[in-house]
Amino acid sequence: MIERLGGDFSVVLLVLGLPVLLGGLAACWQPRRSWPIVAFSLLPLLALAGLFYQVLPQGEQTWLIELGSLTLQWRANGLTLLLLLLTQVITLSSAAYAPAYLMEEIGREGKQVWLWPLQGVLATSLSLIWLAGDLLTLYIGLELMGLAAVGLMLLPGRVDALAAGMRYLLLALVGSLAFLLGVALLLGAWGRLDLAGLALAAEPGMVLWVAVALLSAGLLLKAAAFPLHAWLAPVHGSAWTPVSALHASLVVKGSFFIALQLWLVLVPEARVAAWLVGGLGGAAVIWGGLLAWRAAKLKDVVAWSTVSQLGYLLLGFSLLIGTAPQVAEVAWEGTWLQLAAHSLAKAGMFLATGNLIYSTGESHVRGLAGASRRMPLSLLSFGIAAISLIGLPPSAGFTAKWLLLHASLAAGYWPWMAVLALGTLLSAAYIFRVFRYSFVEDAEPLDYRRVPWSMELFALMLALASLLLGLVAEWPLMLLRAAGGGS
Amino acid sequence: MPPLLDALLALTMVALAASALLDRQLVRACSWFVAFAVSVALTWWSVGFAWLALLELLLGALLTGAFLFHALDVKLWAGVPRRRLVRWRDPVPLTWRRGLLRLLPALAVLAMLGMALVSLADSTGPLQVSGLVLIGLGLWAFVLHRHLLRRLLAFNIIGTGIFLILMGLVGEQHPAAGHGLVVTGLLVALFGTALGALLIRRLSALEVRSAHCAAGAERGGA
Repeated sequence: MIERLGGDFSVVLLVLGLPVLLGGLAACWQPRRSWPIVAFSLLPLLALAGLFYQVLPQGEQTWLIELGSLTLQWRANGLTLLLLLLTQVITLSSAAYAPAYLMEEIGREGKQVWLWPLQGVLATSLSLIWLAGDLLTLYIGLELMGLAAVGLMLLPGRVDALAAGMRYLLLALVGSLAFLLGVALLLGAWGRLDLAGLALAAEPGMVLWVAVALLSAGLLLKAAAFPLHAWLAPVHGSAWTPVSALHASLVVKGSFFIALQLWLVLVPEARVAAWLVGGLGGAAVIWGGLLAWRAAKLKDVVAWSTVSQLGYLLLGFSLLIGTAPQVAEVAWEGTWLQLAAHSLAKAGMFLATGNLIYSTGESHVRGLAGASRRMPLSLLSFGIAAISLIGLPPSAGFTAKWLLLHASLAAGYWPWMAVLALGTLLSAAYIFRVFRYSFVEDAEPLDYRRVPWSMELFALMLALASLLLGLVAEWPLMLLRAAGGGS
Repeated sequence: MPPLLDALLALTMVALAASALLDRQLVRACSWFVAFAVSVALTWWSVGFAWLALLELLLGALLTGAFLFHALDVKLWAGVPRRRLVRWRDPVPLTWRRGLLRLLPALAVLAMLGMALVSLADSTGPLQVSGLVLIGLGLWAFVLHRHLLRRLLAFNIIGTGIFLILMGLVGEQHPAAGHGLVVTGLLVALFGTALGALLIRRLSALEVRSAHCAAGAERGGA
């Protein structure tokens, strides 16, 4: 059934299957502590180590899976490995954060049993997207991810969560219809769904442009790209903290990843269109930063900062497509490093924000007055994550933005440098606004609740990871270069 | 099958879709939708995709229909009480101005898609044409209606239109890939509708409860 071009296929199945399996187990025996989650999560990490061991020495691997007369194609390269590792680390942290959070903050409200299997499905569907080498697998992964994400958003069961979830559901469904229509046109025109084959077969023309327009519209809607971002903040405002962390750090990246892959395969020379997408990215950086600066609620600050940081990834479109090879090479590394840095930092920041809200019982930025004396650790995690978001050295965010800046210079895209500078200033502004409130000394004392140590630990761990990744940035970049996957 | 019957079937399908999308009485609209799904199954069968016909009947008509009626809290075996019918009526009337204004985005998408299809195929088959009409109708209804259930119906009809175009384009040459995409799409549509239906049900229950609470508080205050 499986034709092996690459190495052992069972490792891939383990990497894909274990998260769902563990999620199902956790639904049967709901974990009350963090350590069983960490212990069991070592299993998929071990499977991933097996995949590393297999892919790193031999370079990119491809598997053809034949189901009857249908052929699916999966592949693994350096980029796949990096994204798989990122997915597992962030899923592990947010899952390990959850037991204390559910017990202390949520009580018996909502449908908690569903949190575990849905997280498992989310991790598996994301892994499927990273591994996919054909459009059918991508479609399956995208839909699984979308439905699991909607399910996770609905878990609180309150009216605001349900209303935001309904909007999210409708828009995810519309996005997937646009995607399917684009895939249908591609299949009708060139009779194949594998990305490698399409890269060779696709010819510019009316069909290709309409298909790419439909695919991009659907994906960018799901990725909350400017100006299709309005749904993001309300959805995060009412979701549980670990769910927000997972969503902002991984789910929106899944759609972005697919969109960039498709552009590189189908329209690698479309310089003007890519420039337009980059322009949208620039607008997102500035608009998201402004709204994060003005936001009244703490979670909204973090959500709008996601819109802003995703803008940097969209800048990558313009630097990767239709540019000289040496520009594309630098931009390739900068884009994926920015994705990794933002995922870790944003997950850490959401968890730290959850801790601040838990401890003060306030969801507004103003409510933090005086917090600096009572909860230095949560603020520390928030600050460390912020270093990477702003792009200060030595964080991974700094290295990523440095690479993007370098690529913009080499390509001669001067406006992008202004965008990068303004974006940095704006992110510093909204972060320091939060800190300014927390260092207000003459506030009336509030009732502070002590944050459970596991909640503090995993927020700090993710934030530190985003900082330390900058110190060892050579390692992910080496991974990107070594095992193929090139631009 | 003779072309006359084919055309008749396509017309029935479009007419049923239009009824499902335009009926403000929601229980009736959902019944129209189930009839529409059956006509789609017949279309699949008539062009030789027996498996898709079976799946459409099972997933599209039976299960989706069950979830839609569940959203309305209608039990078919218990009959429909009169006052429910009044409650489940979309309060927003359709005006000419709004209807025409909202037609523009649907027409834009249709024009784009039509051009792509014309440059793609030598002869446009009946499946593509009815698919295009369904997509246009569904898109128009999706941007026109505010009611969540009506938007779910519109989503399902757009989806069906896309499946028809897909199979019309590739059904002959690449049946496996086409089937894979359509079956995934059908499952996604079913899960999406199920989630949406459960949500609508839950939201209306919460609304009723909060209305009760408000009424109770008023009585208590007086």
